[in-house]
Amino acid sequence: MPGNFGEILQHMRVMTLKELLQFRRDIFLLIVVIYAFSIDIYVAGSGIEMELKQAALTVADYDQSPASRDLIYSFRQPQFKFQGMEMNGDRAMDLLDAGKTMLYMEIPADFNEALLAGRPTQIQLLVDTSNSVLGSLATSYAAQIVAGFGIQKAMERLSVGGAMGGSLPMVNSAHRVWFNPNGKDRWFVPINEMLTMITMLSIMLPAAAMVREKERGTVEQLLVSPLTPLEIMLPKVFAMTLVILIGVTLAVFGVLGPVFDIPFRGNMLLFYVLTAIYVFSTAGFGLAISTVVNNLAQVGLMVIMLLSPMLLLSGAFVPPEAMPKILGYLILLSPMHHYIEIVMGIFLKGVGLDVLWPSVAGLLIVGTAVFSFGTWRFRRQFG
Amino acid sequence: MNWARFTAVVAKEWAEITRDRLFLVLAFVVPPALMVVFGLGMNLDVENIPLAIVDHDHSPQSRDYAYRMIDSRYFDFKGYLHDEHQIPKLISRGDVRAVVVIPPKFGQDLVAGRSVSVQTLLDGQFPLRANIARGYIGAINANYSQELISSFLSRAAGLSPDQARQQMGNLRLEMRMLYNQSGKSIWSLAPKLIMMVLMMTPPLLTAVSVVREKERGSILNIYASTVSRAEFLLGKLMPYAGISMVNGVFLWGIAVFYFEAPFKGSFGFYLLATFIYSFTTTGIGLLVSSFVKTQIAAVVITMVVTLVPAILFSGMLFPLSSMGPEAQVIAHLAPAMHYGQIIDGAFMKGIGLDRLWPSVVSLLIYALALFLLAYYFFTKRPQE
Repeated sequence: MPGNFGEILQHMRVMTLKELLQFRRDIFLLIVVIYAFSIDIYVAGSGIEMELKQAALTVADYDQSPASRDLIYSFRQPQFKFQGMEMNGDRAMDLLDAGKTMLYMEIPADFNEALLAGRPTQIQLLVDTSNSVLGSLATSYAAQIVAGFGIQKAMERLSVGGAMGGSLPMVNSAHRVWFNPNGKDRWFVPINEMLTMITMLSIMLPAAAMVREKERGTVEQLLVSPLTPLEIMLPKVFAMTLVILIGVTLAVFGVLGPVFDIPFRGNMLLFYVLTAIYVFSTAGFGLAISTVVNNLAQVGLMVIMLLSPMLLLSGAFVPPEAMPKILGYLILLSPMHHYIEIVMGIFLKGVGLDVLWPSVAGLLIVGTAVFSFGTWRFRRQFG
Repeated sequence: MNWARFTAVVAKEWAEITRDRLFLVLAFVVPPALMVVFGLGMNLDVENIPLAIVDHDHSPQSRDYAYRMIDSRYFDFKGYLHDEHQIPKLISRGDVRAVVVIPPKFGQDLVAGRSVSVQTLLDGQFPLRANIARGYIGAINANYSQELISSFLSRAAGLSPDQARQQMGNLRLEMRMLYNQSGKSIWSLAPKLIMMVLMMTPPLLTAVSVVREKERGSILNIYASTVSRAEFLLGKLMPYAGISMVNGVFLWGIAVFYFEAPFKGSFGFYLLATFIYSFTTTGIGLLVSSFVKTQIAAVVITMVVTLVPAILFSGMLFPLSSMGPEAQVIAHLAPAMHYGQIIDGAFMKGIGLDRLWPSVVSLLIYALALFLLAYYFFTKRPQE
């Protein structure tokens, strides 16, 4: 180990500058990192919502009465969209097969009569549930609409509504969605996309920066230089953390705020400190990868292998309570899981350390473990 | 195109792949591993939503109403709360995702024939789940209301309870769920996962294989040789498209035998579509490789341009019909969406080329266009 502290600092500074210089000279890499923190987030966030909207409804109306028209009209925008009539069942099946219509409703010829007389009558509804999520939304909305329609018609027939002064014992619900009014994904998706980019780059950039030296052979030069393994390794992580933090600033102030009107409710300093910790510790994965592999194709595969489960199972798309128990526990080992809780908490809920401390503790513990593992592998290989 | 030179490039590339043991293993292990992990973890069935109830009424009616929520398999009842003060903390921490607040005089109002409004607070962090939970609560309310009204009617209009129920429930809805009768999300998800996983690795591998030669300088041998541009690019593409095809068969096996997703279409059609798709995905990698000079850039760019559209715009998580106009355009530009439609048709609907030919043709156009662009931009006389 070289002696004094000043010397170490000098080594670190020079090496960090070298990494930044190398990064800046790769013009395509620079462009794509800017893209990742701006256009990519914009594209991901614009217009994507996980809600049933404009589901096409095709109808075979054998009754053509005021009642049947009323019913069709109850399937309203924005959830449903009346697509047209189609009396021919085979052709309707074709429409369903081709995905041109999602629902196909058959109204029987005696529909109006039966409703007026109080006789039982039946509506057929075929629903394309090949997307199970949309299918379940569509079926539950349709069931509510038809049930409401039935009650309304029965009340008209028995003229109870009028007699009782329009009052009936019913339970209505008033919904309030917290942290994301209107239940829009417009807030959720772009933030999540930013987190994805942070995670991806914080694993990949240090790994790639290290493996590149291996592949080109410049690592030999570094090893014979007076630098210690830590002095080779840490500047790469510092430099890439800096790059990513600049990217985050671009994303938060350039895209999330102005374009999507996402309020930043919490403490900015806390957000930056925790983001820096997250990026730094996640880089440990990258360092560990760089000790196992020899070329960048392998880096790519390893990153995909590690990153994709982390992203999709981080609790961002599927909450932990909906996962198999074992995966639910494994998720706790992913630093991203804790980080997402932190960012959503600071961003949307405006909460501070008093609420977030379990996630922060989780991030610190997992992050330290990851980074120590990366450092240990690195020192063993290059020490 | 000279066949001998073309096969020589393929053979060289293949030798390079097989000599890199770690790479070879990863190329065949990563896709199936991803498929299994995603399939197990991406549970989109919305059940066991953690629920708490605040009952300000404490009447028999309010307890009866609360039990309808508690008994539902869609909710996981976490307990009664004394008042609303605890709600923000519980939802912030994700301990509960929905809270139902029953107002005072709930029972009294209902008995008197007045309608009552019940507050539902939902955690919007998972919008899809909030929407579905809202649907469930709405359905429970509708059901409960219908019973209330019929018993009210029997008192008010002097009907017997049976008559009243018949009068209220004379309109029946018979619903048939097509293509995925079970409603299991894995049946819908498994085919889409094939699409996503096959989009993840092939472009990356192809791009890196070309750029590596640039970075190492071995591409100078190609520049100086008689190998033409088309022979070189196609020769680079072949092995990776082949790996992707083999993985396509593996993934199909995992979807059908492990996840037990129904496959109603023809396997031959699936192979044909996957074959074209493999050339499209590797074509993306080829195009990227013609621009960049370093492997880092190649890796980062391919991941950003392929992964995001494959996850967001393929209709896997977010339905196409729900997208705004800009997103619709982007979705149609992403080849993953077309393959997604094909594979949905082949798996769940059992339809083939006769119906899906527009998507197949789109994919073909992609494959050709990508290759031609890469051909156009790749030059044997680079300007330094």
